[in-house]
Amino acid sequence: MYNSSETKSDRVIEVNDLAKEYRVYDKPEGLWASIRGLFHREKRTIHAVRGVNLSVGRGEFLAMLGPNGAGKTTFLKLLSGIITPTRGSARVMGHVPWDRADDFRRRFALVMGQKNQLWWDLPAAESFRLHQEIYRIEPVRFAQIHDELVDMLGVSRLLGQPVRELSLGERMKLELIAALLHEPEVLFLDEPTIGLDVVAQHTIHEFLRHVQKQRSVTVVLTTHYMKDVAALCERVVVVTEGSILYDGSLEQIVDRFTTHKVVTLDLEHPPAEGEIEKFGFACEVRGPRVSLRIDRTRIADVLPKLLASQQVRDISVEDVPLEEIVAGLFRGAASRQLNNDREQGARLV
Amino acid sequence: MRTYAESARLQPSYGWLSGLKSWWRMLVICLEERLAYRTDFALGTVMRFLPIVTQVFLWTAVFNASDRTDIAGYSRDNIVAYYLLAMLTRAFSSMPGLAGGVSRSIRDGSVKKYLIQPVDYVGFLLASRIAHKLVYYIVAMIPFVSVLFFCRSYFPPAPDGLTIAAYVLSLVLSFLLGFFLEATLGMIGFWFLEVSSIIFAYMLFQYLLSGHMFPIDMLADIPTGMAGISLADVVRFLPFEYTAYFPAAVWLGKITGWELVTGLVIEFTWLIVMIGVCRFVWWRGTKRYSGFGG
Amino acid sequence: MGRYFKIFSTFARACLVRDMTFRANFLLECLTSLGWMSMNLAFYLLIFSFTPEIGRNSGWSREPFFAFVATGLIINSIVQTLFMPSASELTEMVRTGGLDSVLVRPLDAQFLLSMHRFDFSSMANGIVGVALLVWSVSRFSVAPPLIACFLYPVLIVCGVAILYGLIIMLAAATILMGRNQSLYDFWFYITNFSRYPAEIYAGPWGGPLRMVCTFVIPILLVVNVPAGTIARPLSGNAWGMISLTCVVAIISVGVSRIVFQAALARYRSASS
Repeated sequence: MYNSSETKSDRVIEVNDLAKEYRVYDKPEGLWASIRGLFHREKRTIHAVRGVNLSVGRGEFLAMLGPNGAGKTTFLKLLSGIITPTRGSARVMGHVPWDRADDFRRRFALVMGQKNQLWWDLPAAESFRLHQEIYRIEPVRFAQIHDELVDMLGVSRLLGQPVRELSLGERMKLELIAALLHEPEVLFLDEPTIGLDVVAQHTIHEFLRHVQKQRSVTVVLTTHYMKDVAALCERVVVVTEGSILYDGSLEQIVDRFTTHKVVTLDLEHPPAEGEIEKFGFACEVRGPRVSLRIDRTRIADVLPKLLASQQVRDISVEDVPLEEIVAGLFRGAASRQLNNDREQGARLV
Repeated sequence: MRTYAESARLQPSYGWLSGLKSWWRMLVICLEERLAYRTDFALGTVMRFLPIVTQVFLWTAVFNASDRTDIAGYSRDNIVAYYLLAMLTRAFSSMPGLAGGVSRSIRDGSVKKYLIQPVDYVGFLLASRIAHKLVYYIVAMIPFVSVLFFCRSYFPPAPDGLTIAAYVLSLVLSFLLGFFLEATLGMIGFWFLEVSSIIFAYMLFQYLLSGHMFPIDMLADIPTGMAGISLADVVRFLPFEYTAYFPAAVWLGKITGWELVTGLVIEFTWLIVMIGVCRFVWWRGTKRYSGFGG
Repeated sequence: MGRYFKIFSTFARACLVRDMTFRANFLLECLTSLGWMSMNLAFYLLIFSFTPEIGRNSGWSREPFFAFVATGLIINSIVQTLFMPSASELTEMVRTGGLDSVLVRPLDAQFLLSMHRFDFSSMANGIVGVALLVWSVSRFSVAPPLIACFLYPVLIVCGVAILYGLIIMLAAATILMGRNQSLYDFWFYITNFSRYPAEIYAGPWGGPLRMVCTFVIPILLVVNVPAGTIARPLSGNAWGMISLTCVVAIISVGVSRIVFQAALARYRSASS
């Protein structure tokens, strides 16, 4: 049963000027301050999400990247209808999420890496059975999907063990199965790989990629691991301070936000002092191994000269590592915010 | 550049003064934490008076129907005063959430941090409990004083100074006794996964035998099967009645002279015993815990 | 409806499995709640050693009073088994954000939150309650009329419904305040008023208190009306109370539903 507005366009998620503000009480430090707090408390407004616009098509795999407290989780909570926004609108599969219509809730799933949705003291199989009842999954279909997912992740021997006895990675796999049993069309993943080791991360990446391709699920994933993004997503949304800073492909981030390439040289002899700096900013000189940052526009000019003047054993030209770019983006946003505040402060004076 | 000697001098010393300082710091943090949730607080304080109201009405109905003016040495006014005083004692000796908190921190492993930090867990608990209580008294002072003032006509005239001193001493001891009883109870969590029912069982006895429900004097006519020994005589040697009945009865002048002295001695002995047991259980428990690898 | 029953039984089964995994604990819980009850009974016996009746001419002499106590045991046992464990867990769920995963399920949140956990050990008290009821009724000087025996179970259900409404409203308060450790305490203190016959609330203070606890927070109807129906003659006044109880039960459940929905709309969710 699809909504008409949804079939018209292939937009599964449509968000307009969505904002969420919290009122919090400031808790001043110090004993006297807290005693004063008994009678009077300062209120403050936190802008967790500030007027976000976003549109996601069917079958897209989108990553939201941002530092802690950027508003990623709040955004996911809004999209899954757990909380109601302060202003703005959102449609997910044609539904307003916070109306919490059963028809809507049957068609998506939310997995939170830091929270356990399975029954703690019971084997996961019990939780799965409950899911079957809650989501009204046909027994035959249930068995089919269940077996398929269990096979894919190779967890059949874990099903009978109480969840509390499992490792974090094992638990996450079972969480994912629970979330996919009812074949959701939209999957929200909130930091699914947090705290996992490299092997478990890899398994989960493989699994997610496979499931997403096979069923063309629309996935929105929040994370602060670049690895997740690089492995899974074509589209990246960078969020800081509740606003979207960048929305596009991963490669374009590099195009748009870097001005330099990193050239690494293996020389025959360690370079003489000051000699190598002529060509660009030397970020690392360790014996005969040298890393240079060179402006992208100049790279075609500089490289031939460099090769001509030095005896080069090996050379590589790479983009600035993604982590560094994104970290730079976050820092940039933070300092811009600071500057804004300063300007405002100055104006007030 | 700072020399090694200089930086060594800047290291905190671990003398008693700094112990006191970190203790004070802990107390302040706990105070702040409690103050942050004032609604819970106000609600909890007012609610505490409700059961007394019911008890008073119940006993009034009993006095009414039986045509008696005296039950086990208590007049109706005495009963009202008794319940108020017993509640006041409970405000000192009851430790809401202590045993449960200790066993939970053992179960979920957060107790580990006290095994690696240079903080004595029991000391930390005691400090935070004192903080908890202090804040409670600050906030609860107003309702308590107004209720006691409102009900002043039910009270006999104030006792002499010596009795008051004994009363205060018994109150302080009841706080410490209550603390060590419950902390020890929570540490049973080292041996059993869920101690909630053990805590519940303790609360049960505590409720009946502490005098929270009725003055222990009412048990004086109930035989135990042993010649000449009533149930009240047995209860006197258990720790429970010192957490509610005893201080209240002291104030009301039901316990005087030698009886008062022996009562205080029994209370003090129980306190010493419980401190010892608590230490022992903590020592055995942590040994077992680290043996398991957490 | 059938689906909800199925989910209900899945929950019940899971909780039973859990209880049986911690078998020793389960038994201990049964024993302590039985112990708790016997201590209360001991207290009442103590009271009746001082007086033939509670409240002059109130009709609550020993056997009728024990029928009253039995009624209270039955009602509280039902509430403790079905609703209380879920409600007290809700506090924790709000604090840790566990409520989030309930809200994304295609199921009525109130149903899920008020019935996802059961405490089967609380049934022990109910069973003893029934036995105590049979014992005390058999010792009545006048056997209760047949109509009273029919009305009694209906009024028990009404009593449970009133308490359920109250629990849900407290749960709503938990959601709004974000944290409320005193939920259980509050519950204990409020229901405390329903532990004794309404007749003890007399005099210049008791009268108004009785009015408030009958009409504003209808806690006095819960045990008093079913117990009164079985233990005392059905006067015109009693019929009035019986109808009132039925009406209040419906209102209580209805209002709690509205309050709960309003609270969910204002849920903030704990930050992760």
